[in-house]
Amino acid sequence: MVRVPRVDSRSGLRGAWRAVKSILVGHGITFREFLKEPITIRYPEEPVPYPPGVRGIPSLKVNMETGELNCTACGLCARSCPVGIITVEPMVGPDGKRMQYPAVYRLEFHRCLVCNLCVEACPFDSLEMADMVELSQYHPEALVFERDQLAEIWKRSRAVRIAGGQKI
Amino acid sequence: MQAALPPWLWNLIVAVVKPTLILAFIGLNALLLIWGERKVAARIQRRRGPEVVGGPWGVLQGIADGVKLFAKEDVMPARADRWVWSLAPSVVFVPAAMVFLVLPFGALGPSGPVLVMRDLENAVLYLMAVASFTALGIWMAGWGSNSKYSLLGAMRAISMLISYEVPLVLAVLGVVLAAGSLSVVDIVRAQESRWFIIPQFLGFLVFYAATLAELNRTPFDLVLGESEIVVGYATEYSGIRWSMFFFAEYGALVASSLVAANLFLGGWHGPFYPGVHWVLIKTYALVFLAIWIRWTLPRFRIDQVMDFGWKVLLPLSLLNLTATGAWMAVKA
Repeated sequence: MVRVPRVDSRSGLRGAWRAVKSILVGHGITFREFLKEPITIRYPEEPVPYPPGVRGIPSLKVNMETGELNCTACGLCARSCPVGIITVEPMVGPDGKRMQYPAVYRLEFHRCLVCNLCVEACPFDSLEMADMVELSQYHPEALVFERDQLAEIWKRSRAVRIAGGQKI
Repeated sequence: MQAALPPWLWNLIVAVVKPTLILAFIGLNALLLIWGERKVAARIQRRRGPEVVGGPWGVLQGIADGVKLFAKEDVMPARADRWVWSLAPSVVFVPAAMVFLVLPFGALGPSGPVLVMRDLENAVLYLMAVASFTALGIWMAGWGSNSKYSLLGAMRAISMLISYEVPLVLAVLGVVLAAGSLSVVDIVRAQESRWFIIPQFLGFLVFYAATLAELNRTPFDLVLGESEIVVGYATEYSGIRWSMFFFAEYGALVASSLVAANLFLGGWHGPFYPGVHWVLIKTYALVFLAIWIRWTLPRFRIDQVMDFGWKVLLPLSLLNLTATGAWMAVKA
């Protein structure tokens, strides 16, 4: 009868050596981590870098040369909105005709899905997701934004460059 | 000064001042180590740890924790064994404080007086006897709480007791054999030229592992076992009683590090100038080691602790003792 030697790496001297080695290696790893800088960001005090393309709040693009909105009050964003929170009313000219400029642009942000569909629907490139995310309020009414507020949010959001209203 | 006072008054002053010093030392250490352990743990996990509450780097975290715990309601389980339950935190805490009685904190200069509360002739015996007393308090807490988690934790503590206590005593015996004395001061004096960790490295390892088991620290924290049995014997405690357990834990951690520093690392002996600072440096290096181990190793199961105690620690401590004895015989 052939005797097969029992090989168990968890017992005997080999196992003991393995245990000692793994303990030493483990402590080496934790000590190395101990010496490294923490990766914590002190969030409210330090800004958190957002990746490009972060979706905060839909905002109205402004032509930085003329100061006018790109928006033509076509209403496609209001139609595309799955929760129907965008209200667009065009300006009425002195002749009683509809002008290609919004008189009212209201965003009830407290119900916004931040889905980006309004931005994609816009044929005039007048909407963009601003990188503002610190928008908490105590009452939902405080999150209803009007036309000029939305333009202001776009201007304050990251990397606004004056180039014909285009952000680079 | 001693001659100017009547002996009873002198004794009274000593009896008040010395325990006060010990308690202040333990309290200060507990407050700082609560913060320190969290800080080290945070850095190992690449976090920042407490840094908001107060002082530079959040040093005053311990005080904030203390205030919070003191303000909390003292809840007693409805069917708890009243006296046993309420005495248990003290029974856990007292041995941790009593250990300091025989431990030298250092010497003033190379041949100056030794800073020790009382230089008992059988100090090592006293240490072993007092330190293992903690298990009684743990059992009182577990039994008195009338809760399954507490009882499970306490039962683990008791069943673990002998498997680490025997190797612990045998490891210390090697030191006693080499020094030829049971007094901690004499043991430190015997290490003037060479620390006992060098010939008895094995003994030190066994001693340190057994000490961690006695402290119920990771990897032997199955007594607390947060992920399985809440916090074991301390489950039903809250507020100030719970903070007593905390104080006892950190007091015992410092005490056992001080024991290890004195028995194996040469106490106040060190290069350049021997003194108190060496004892403190060694003690806190060992405290750091314990914290480091806690945040590296996972927890043993109860059967693994038994295995480790009886099949690894005990043979190693016997080997250490035999080798030391043989070496002593050859040298003599």
